[in-house]
Amino acid sequence: MEVIVISESNGDLLHPVTAQLVGASSSLGGNITILCPGGKGLSEAAEISGVSKVISVEGDCFQSYDSNAWSKALAPHAEGDLVLTSSSSTGRELASSIAAIRGIPVLQDATNISEGIVVSRPIYSGKVIETSSVKIPCVITLRANSYEASESSGKAEISTVNQTADVTISIRKALERAGEKIDVSEADIIISGGRGMGEPSNFSNLEEVADLLGAAVGASRAAVDTWDEIPHSMQVGQTGKTVTPSLYIAVGISGAIQHLAGMRTSKYIVAINKDPEAPIFGVADYGVVATWEEALPALKNELSALLSN
Amino acid sequence: MMRNMAYEALDFYDIDSMLSEEERMVRDMVRDWVEDRVIPNIEEACRDGVFPDDWRKEIGEMGILGAPLKGYGCPGLSYIAYGLICQELERGDSGVRSFASVQGSLAMYPIHDFGSEEQKEYYLPKMASGEWVGCFGLTEPDYGSNPGDMITRAEDKGDHFLLNGAKMWITNGTIADLAVVWAKLDGEIKGFIVEKGDEGFSAPEMKGKHSLKASVTSELVFQDCKIPKNRILPDVKGLRGPFSCLNNARYGISWGAVGAAQSCFNSAKEYSLSRIQFGHPIASFQLIQNKLSWMLREITKGQLLAYHMGKKKDDGTWIPEQISLAKMNNVDMALEIARMSRDIHGANGILDEYPVMRHMANLESVKTYEGTHDIHNLILGRHITGIQSFTREP
Amino acid sequence: MGVAVLIKQVPDTTSKVSVAGDRVDESSVSKWSISPYDEYALECAMRLKESGYSEVVAITCGPQRSSKALTEAAAVGADSLIHVHVEDSLDSIQVQTLLSAAIKRTGSEIVLCGKQAADTNSGSTGPGIASILDYSCVGVVSEVSVDDGVLVATRQGPSGLEEIEVSAPCLFTFDKGESELRRPNVRGIMMAKKKTVEALTPGDLGVDLGESAVIVNSHSSPPDKPPGQKFEGVSSIATVVQKLRDEANVI
Ligand SMILES: Cc1cc2nc3c(=O)[nH]c(=O)nc-3n(C[C@H](O)[C@H](O)[C@H](O)COP(=O)(O)OP(=O)(O)OC[C@H]3O[C@@H](n4cnc5c(N)ncnc54)[C@H](O)[C@@H]3O)c2cc1C
Ligand SMILES: Cc1cc2nc3c(=O)[nH]c(=O)nc-3n(C[C@H](O)[C@H](O)[C@H](O)COP(=O)(O)OP(=O)(O)OC[C@H]3O[C@@H](n4cnc5c(N)ncnc54)[C@H](O)[C@@H]3O)c2cc1C
Repeated sequence: MEVIVISESNGDLLHPVTAQLVGASSSLGGNITILCPGGKGLSEAAEISGVSKVISVEGDCFQSYDSNAWSKALAPHAEGDLVLTSSSSTGRELASSIAAIRGIPVLQDATNISEGIVVSRPIYSGKVIETSSVKIPCVITLRANSYEASESSGKAEISTVNQTADVTISIRKALERAGEKIDVSEADIIISGGRGMGEPSNFSNLEEVADLLGAAVGASRAAVDTWDEIPHSMQVGQTGKTVTPSLYIAVGISGAIQHLAGMRTSKYIVAINKDPEAPIFGVADYGVVATWEEALPALKNELSALLSN
Repeated sequence: MMRNMAYEALDFYDIDSMLSEEERMVRDMVRDWVEDRVIPNIEEACRDGVFPDDWRKEIGEMGILGAPLKGYGCPGLSYIAYGLICQELERGDSGVRSFASVQGSLAMYPIHDFGSEEQKEYYLPKMASGEWVGCFGLTEPDYGSNPGDMITRAEDKGDHFLLNGAKMWITNGTIADLAVVWAKLDGEIKGFIVEKGDEGFSAPEMKGKHSLKASVTSELVFQDCKIPKNRILPDVKGLRGPFSCLNNARYGISWGAVGAAQSCFNSAKEYSLSRIQFGHPIASFQLIQNKLSWMLREITKGQLLAYHMGKKKDDGTWIPEQISLAKMNNVDMALEIARMSRDIHGANGILDEYPVMRHMANLESVKTYEGTHDIHNLILGRHITGIQSFTREP
Repeated sequence: MGVAVLIKQVPDTTSKVSVAGDRVDESSVSKWSISPYDEYALECAMRLKESGYSEVVAITCGPQRSSKALTEAAAVGADSLIHVHVEDSLDSIQVQTLLSAAIKRTGSEIVLCGKQAADTNSGSTGPGIASILDYSCVGVVSEVSVDDGVLVATRQGPSGLEEIEVSAPCLFTFDKGESELRRPNVRGIMMAKKKTVEALTPGDLGVDLGESAVIVNSHSSPPDKPPGQKFEGVSSIATVVQKLRDEANVI
């Protein structure tokens, strides 16, 4: 089986998900070629083990992002039985367009791909897992971190093709991210603080972690009631917001029933509390018995190490 | 995208399946609005004792005022749709439903049914859009259940009418742009339209209510109030005028009460499932289950009553006594459910974190206005026996 | 020139979704709604209409029940409604082929849709259609407006938030928009009732669907989470972070 992996870049570097795409392909036993749009991350891609060829697709269109132009330029070189990209927004768009150009189906956001080809993927925001069989040729996008990354001890042959397409989107200007904070009711990750934070100013420690994760900062009612600086809009619980993020981190929150009412259906719950008997540990998937003063700096370090990797 | 858990309105007998697509869409529209705009803000409105002006505008924009009236910019919906609107508004707060009932059934309706062509064209479009608020002046300080003896009088002064007297307990009074006022002209009850700013007219607000705090209640004072001749409602005289308005409003209340009861039931159900005492959720105790099942039973009966009444309103086969029964029964059951729900919430039930105490206090007004509970008993008593017992006079 | 907006009817995000046998149990869905991102596309379509486009056509592809989503779109102002009626589950290319044919029929050169639907969470439809029709494709936008004849959009691109310009024909996929969604009103609902839904079969659109290349084997509930784990002391933070990545897959 011919597998084409379209690499994902992170600025000028290769995004680590690319090696995971190769990892997934290797498990299927295919002959793997990586396409690097605009040649980004080329040398890193060539080092991924299990890759036989790396093709740098170069052309003017790769100067700025235009999914239609990019996929037109990439499609002629993506003639494999299986085309794989990451399920980031860009990955999904390229996958869909290339599939449409080739007239073949695309399956998005797979968490497992096995021979057949059988694909598992979460649907309904993770409430259901769908397993389906797809005929080759097809395009699949893979969720990051679903597969182990292939090691970087390879040395694939690198070639370059020149291929471009008309770009129809022009960028007028980069915009500042609106300074507004993410609202807890819309966030996929929430880190909340309770009375255990001691002072409202200590919430800045939660904000730093939130910034790393793209998370929203929430609060318990005790925090909202005690400190004017913490607005009611941040309150999670029975009389605050009911949230179902994929990750909820409760810091210095005891876990009163009214608080649990607003967050217990979160997909994963982490609790940081100095009291080993705190009821919050009863609902936590991962509980850490520690003070926030120790735990938050450590969390920040670990996360920045992991996320910059 | 995440939202709060869906509000699942109790609908044990699947009334939903009997509604038309249009009725369901109107219901969902109002339900979403209440969810978004009323529930998060109602406690503040009650604390401040105001009916937020944004609500007036938004209710107007939804186009639900005067729901069953046709023409002149009015919605022309079915009576079932009107009932559903009341139900959803009152699930938020009886004060919000009161605003809409008074505007639609008590102020727009008499203009629509008894007004001159000129009056209809002038007032109704502005009232349907919520731009102008109306109120209904019947009750007086000394005449509540027997409005027939009212004191307020109108005199024909040739080129104008002169009004003297006072009305009390008038919903929307202070915020109203116009009042439909019932007064005696040559000993006979007639309807008059008084506009804000008319000479000799004022509408001071009544303060200190423990009920319907987010609804404005006022006095209407007429001291040689001068109004043009074209402000009389030409096509009705006697108590039939105000009573036919009340019939429509009472019908709406029979649905509204269901909404308030659904809200109290929901809160009781959720609370009892999460409150743990003696090691178990209180919902697992038989006494609590008995209460919940009683609520379910009464609400379901009330829904069927309101629905059937709506069908009769829509096909015109109703009599006023049937509406009396529906209003009386449904408000009574809602009040009982509010009290029971309050009980289930224990001490928490007295907090404004939960809607139950507010509904309970509101429903006390609802029990009294639009004909007190017992006045409806007397109406039914007269219907059964043929003997009126309102007064000892023959 | 008209604007086409593609909408899909999905279980409301607040309603429970359960699996019965090996399929999602549609009969247990308490409320069906327009998929949330599509609602932003619809809102934008209405705004574009207010800024001068002649009409908004709402198009859906799905089973009988989904025509209600069109009526809801009409209640907030969509002018005409097309329902491509199919009861079977289709693969991505089949859906895109049908919708492309429907768009072609309307002649719309501006197409708006959600970046992904709330049921399948895929996000294949918009970009795929753009490729089939050879329209420009701008993904993950929060706003589209017209400035001196060109279309201006705010998008979340790979290099961050940016303002871009593009000319029609173009397809935009919507993220959560910046503008507040309009509410329906009674007038809209009454008008919606009067609007007819043009129901089309694949045959009417001249599309031969052929066989789906994707067969859904099963739907299942996600595996139960491992029981909660509790760690003593700050040194465990590293372990927890690693588990959040490897076991929970949430960061
Ligand atoms: C009707 C009603 C509605 C309510 N609604 C809500 C609601 O919507 N949301 C809500 O949250 N609550 C609600 N409550 C309040 C709820 O009962 C609790 O009082 C509240 O959640 C407690 O907040 P907390 O956990 O922050 O504070 P506490 O219970 O005081 O807990 C503080 C925790 O911080 C820990 N801690 C202290 N210092 C540190 C440290 N240095 N490092 C780490 N941990 C530390 C402690 O061990 C303790 O567990 C409601 C209550 C009622 C009666
Ligand atoms: C919040 C609020 C808003 C209102 N809004 C309006 C409004 O917009 N417009 C308006 O015109 N009015 C309005 N009302 C007034 C309302 O309609 C009257 O309060 C109602 O008709 C009862 O009159 P009453 O309060 O004078 O009570 P009364 O008539 O004095 O009754 C007192 C008690 O005596 C009982 N009773 C009276 N007569 C008999 C009898 N014959 N036999 C047995 N029992 C009897 C009653 O059932 C009641 O229990 C409002 C009232 C409230 C509380």
